[in-house]
Amino acid sequence: MINIQRLSFKWHTQQTIPTLTIPSLVIEQGEHVFLHGPSGCGKSTLLSLLAGINKPSSGSLSVLNTNLAQLSNRKRDAFRSDHIGYIFQNFNLLPYLSPLENVMLGCQFSKSRQQKALQQSSSLEQEASRLLNALGLATEHHQQSVANLSIGQQQRVAAARAFIGSPELIIADEPTSALDANNRSAFIELLFAQANIACSTLVFVSHDESLQALFNRSISLVDIMEQAQ
Amino acid sequence: MILIKLAYKSLLNRRGSAFLTLFTIAISVMLLLSIERVRVDAKSSFSNTISGTDLIVGARTGDIQLLLSSVFRIGHTNNGVSWQSYEYIKQQRGVKWTIPLSLGDSHKGHAVLGTSPDYFTHYMYGKKQTLSFLQGSPFNHLNDVVIGSEIASTLGYKVGEKVIISHGMGNTSFHHHDDNPFTVVGILNATGTPVDKTLHIPLAAIELMHGGSHSPTEHEHEHEHEHEHDHNAENLIGEPTQITAFLMGFDSPLYTLQVRRNINQYKPEALLAIMPGVTLRELWEMLSIVEKILLLFSSIVVLVSLLGMLTTLLASLSQRRRELAILRSVGARPWHLFSLISIESLLITLLGCILGCGLFYGLMSVAAGFLQSHAGISITIAMLSDYELGLISVIMAAGFLVGLIPATRAYFYSLADGMSIKI
Repeated sequence: MINIQRLSFKWHTQQTIPTLTIPSLVIEQGEHVFLHGPSGCGKSTLLSLLAGINKPSSGSLSVLNTNLAQLSNRKRDAFRSDHIGYIFQNFNLLPYLSPLENVMLGCQFSKSRQQKALQQSSSLEQEASRLLNALGLATEHHQQSVANLSIGQQQRVAAARAFIGSPELIIADEPTSALDANNRSAFIELLFAQANIACSTLVFVSHDESLQALFNRSISLVDIMEQAQ
Repeated sequence: MILIKLAYKSLLNRRGSAFLTLFTIAISVMLLLSIERVRVDAKSSFSNTISGTDLIVGARTGDIQLLLSSVFRIGHTNNGVSWQSYEYIKQQRGVKWTIPLSLGDSHKGHAVLGTSPDYFTHYMYGKKQTLSFLQGSPFNHLNDVVIGSEIASTLGYKVGEKVIISHGMGNTSFHHHDDNPFTVVGILNATGTPVDKTLHIPLAAIELMHGGSHSPTEHEHEHEHEHEHDHNAENLIGEPTQITAFLMGFDSPLYTLQVRRNINQYKPEALLAIMPGVTLRELWEMLSIVEKILLLFSSIVVLVSLLGMLTTLLASLSQRRRELAILRSVGARPWHLFSLISIESLLITLLGCILGCGLFYGLMSVAAGFLQSHAGISITIAMLSDYELGLISVIMAAGFLVGLIPATRAYFYSLADGMSIKI
């Protein structure tokens, strides 16, 4: 699924020490991976590489057997919209769209995800609604203003948006940091359930090591970086 | 399609500032369209002041001066045309009609024109329209006066009322012809030309007023005795020593140039003949600096409103970097974000233009009556002309160009920020 070999990344070419160095990292399809490390260790940088926002300075980074390092900017954008669902820390939603429209936005820039979503339901709207219900957001909230949703509810909408059209890779960047302990584990359970249904690989990033127990695999970014030196 | 929907919803979300921006553009569009419509209509009203007259003849002076004094009643001509010359030129080949004009008297600041009854049949304005009567009829007696529509409305004169006419221009003439009361016998329909502000009396009455040997009333009485109310055109015109100017119409336009040359080379007296159409155009060209300034100012107003839009879009953009990052995460390319902001600015400009047109029609329908009665400009409330549509397209294009600035910035924000959310 994800195969990283001898990857290094520098923001500027003049930089002497790379921001991120990963000798080797392999993640299999369908794995739920907990990626942890303290703030500033390069988690966000790794995510931006996985999502195809930035290009590695050297080494190879392939997702779904596609070497992102060799794709053009345009193709990496297209790759992201086709194969990756992304959940931010918080404030995931566009304030001027309803929860339902926010979810549909997830497949609006990708034909293949639209088709996959339409295989599940007869319309995008139905599919969005189905996902929201599956993630525990009752139908009465689907058309409501985003501003009136609690943070927990907003994160469910964000998760539904990441899952619509069943992308192969879900990246969650500290999605539970704004939630309390109960909501946190409930949310993670929902993510697992959805990821299993869609056979998606889940890369979950957090600095909160207490969540580690919930995942079947855990990677410490600090350890990987130390290996390199 | 999704981008248009996003732009629309995003604007709706910021409806307060978006509407203000849109409204500013609408006002500027309304202003520009109104100024241009009034300008174009003023130009046509202006060139419609006189039509059907082939030549205007007066004492030798400037072309424009002669036009101003004879048609617009502006300024003075010190010299006139002697009656002998008038009689001689009248006999030229091809002359269909002539109307003598004698100006210089006034009534409460309004011009008094001494002329022949032919004036009411041959004088034409606009698209060859003759004068028509709202009430009454042309003058038949020496102490009859026919007034323009504006005189009737501002001074409140009605048919049958007595009017005192003074000598000289202006409201405070030194010499009042108190002994010469005139009777209003006719009120003309509004024409939107200086005719509306003119009192028309028989040419002979002017001579009698100034000759002062006997009042027109006495004169009229004499005639009444002699002819039993039978007033022919001759005694209304009389034989003045000189007139201010005269209008000429020809059987065929072919004679115009010929007669014009003859008049300009007329030996006994220094005369000038002008073709009103040509001189009106020259006069309008002199005024074109004013119209250019008007156009300049309304363009600046449009520019300012577009800069207002630029400010609003740029200010909102820094608050929307999160939005841009979210869109990037769902696969929007920087190019999409560029288009999104461009579409927003286009939508604002488009809606601004549409609202502006609405306001423009509202304003025109309210102001049309006022402009007609106070400035003599007849406003046509018609579909937008090609020229006006052209102006709107220029505004749309300018709005689009201005929108490229925040759009470009959104493009580079999205490149620089990627998916890291900047608050």
